[in-house]
Amino acid sequence: MLTVLCLVLSGVAGAAAYFFPVVVAGVGQTGQTVIVPPSASPGLKARPTPSASAGAPFTVLLLGSDDDSKFQADHVLTQSMILVRVDPLSRHVTMLSIPRDLWVPLSTGGSAKIDAAYSYGGAAAAIATVQRNFHVHIDEYAWIGLKGLIKLIDQLGGIDVLVTNPVLDDFYPDDIGGGFLYGYKRVAVLPGAQHLDGSHALQYVRSRHNDINGDFGRSARQQEVLLAIKAKASTLNAADLPDIVNALSGEFKTSMGLDRVRSLLGVASAFDLANVNQIVLYVPTFTSYGQISGQSVVLPHWPQILAITRANFP
Amino acid sequence: MILRRIAALLFVPLMVAFGSGVYLYLGTLKSKVVKERPQLPTVTKPKFVLPGTMFVVQEGRLFKLNGGSFTEIGPPGDWSQPTLTPDRTRLIAVQRGGASSDLYLLDLNGQIVKRLTKNDSKYIASNHWAYYPRVSPDGASLFFSFDSPKLVNSAPGVDLSVWSMPLNGVQSQARRWTDPYWYTGGDVSPIPLAGGALLYVRHSIDPSTAVHAQIYYQSRPFGIGKPLTAAADDCTEPALSPDGTQLAMVCSRGKQTAALEVAPFNGGILGPAQVLLDNGLYASPVWSPDGKALAYLAPAGAAGHFQLWYLALPLPAPSATASSSPPVAASPAVSGSASATVHPTPTPAPPAPVQVTQGVDLTATSPPAWY
Repeated sequence: MLTVLCLVLSGVAGAAAYFFPVVVAGVGQTGQTVIVPPSASPGLKARPTPSASAGAPFTVLLLGSDDDSKFQADHVLTQSMILVRVDPLSRHVTMLSIPRDLWVPLSTGGSAKIDAAYSYGGAAAAIATVQRNFHVHIDEYAWIGLKGLIKLIDQLGGIDVLVTNPVLDDFYPDDIGGGFLYGYKRVAVLPGAQHLDGSHALQYVRSRHNDINGDFGRSARQQEVLLAIKAKASTLNAADLPDIVNALSGEFKTSMGLDRVRSLLGVASAFDLANVNQIVLYVPTFTSYGQISGQSVVLPHWPQILAITRANFP
Repeated sequence: MILRRIAALLFVPLMVAFGSGVYLYLGTLKSKVVKERPQLPTVTKPKFVLPGTMFVVQEGRLFKLNGGSFTEIGPPGDWSQPTLTPDRTRLIAVQRGGASSDLYLLDLNGQIVKRLTKNDSKYIASNHWAYYPRVSPDGASLFFSFDSPKLVNSAPGVDLSVWSMPLNGVQSQARRWTDPYWYTGGDVSPIPLAGGALLYVRHSIDPSTAVHAQIYYQSRPFGIGKPLTAAADDCTEPALSPDGTQLAMVCSRGKQTAALEVAPFNGGILGPAQVLLDNGLYASPVWSPDGKALAYLAPAGAAGHFQLWYLALPLPAPSATASSSPPVAASPAVSGSASATVHPTPTPAPPAPVQVTQGVDLTATSPPAWY
């Protein structure tokens, strides 16, 4: 009896050692608490309620940032903001990309491009700003740095995407991997179906200078890559988590607990692309270009935007 | 008592071994996408022996596939997009540098015969890309996509145009054939035709801001291009059969999956397309030397690495002249049926594709060269 107990204990110890990085990350990177200021919009909850009942639809704000040395730690701009609503029961997913140059009132006061919200007040300010302006309720958030995205995709063994047209850029930021932080480099991602590693996938989602749709084209590419990551992640299992957590160390934060992450992976493996609704707030229907204080900005057409958020993020 | 202590002492290593075993066993449960890393083609054994000789690319390295085995050829470098000269005695391939790419003439063992272009510069914006080399059927001209001119204004534009130059000449003799839609990435995949005309893929934008790919026909430099496929079909990666009567292409129709199609082609007219394969990530189709089969690249397995596939073709498609839709005049790409010239028709059950390679990850944007 004692022998069996000892063997079980040693087995548990081995498993605990294996999943130790996950436990550490579970404590340090998931379940992040954010205090969201009270909403100015009537009818909205003052702070995210991490979750409604199991199986109920929930909305996640995905944030992607520069996290290089140009910025102070945690005072980074969010180059990518995507609202994702997941309905675990119907297995339906809606993604809405928020233009980073969208000119909005910030929850921290004043008006600015929406990508500045995170730099002024972290995830709480980003969530509050989106909630107030878009009249949506956000249950969770997840933030990933550029290096984290590279590492995640590499850890997944790359992703498969179908590149619709050549993505060429003579002014792609050369700010990852050392060197002059404000330098540029040339990138060329050729069209067609292909397998992209992390750094090339980042070039694909980050380049914008030669895209006829500018930041909107980049938003559409970011959604494609998210779906490609989802396709790869759907084949993961618990034994893969330690490596992924190690790869994302310091590059990923989320308010979701491990149970929500696990249920999200379950949804990812179950739904198909036919159940994904992708929304980009293109000019001229939802937005227009403008100049404010010498800055090129994107001006929101709130009636059209709110109509689509009401319909897709009830 | 002593025996008990000895037993306990002996049991400790057993516990350590068991715990370590559990740790290692959990590591073996990782999914294939995490564990599976591509191998070099030279250490793999193809599952199917292709007729003839083929050149493919993986991670910037050129490989020759012949008789069911791979050989690496060429000097070190970031090589891609090999193509054969019409007499099958030379290769032309792209070598990419940090901020530019150049075309090189190689022998069939990968030794450099001649550098054909010089596109690197110490000034970043003065570098250029050259891609998609293709030699004219008479062997006299080299066609390629080249990012010149560039737009220099508040929104710098880098788009590929189709250019040609004498194969035995110098880059300064190159002349531009096409004028791309700016900020779409431009024109790619030129195929010079026997009569002197050109097929290529043009990228354009429609009023809803969607970017499309269309296969165009153009008779002379800066002539008016004629779209052979509808904007909404997003057909790209054309491959002309050895006898010049059929065109294979990949059509994605705005989705993240595509169809592999073949249509009869006759001097600037494309007939109704047959869908050979659908809902996959098909890339870089090429014709077998006898024109009776296609090879293409597509992922196999959960890891998503691109393998080489072989597809014997069904009966020939209807003649291009039988197309009921007249070709449309050149116009900016407008999605919808108005500009459609190709209507996929039901396929008479083609043979199933055969996976040729295994465990490799071939570069899907580099069409194989096959003779």
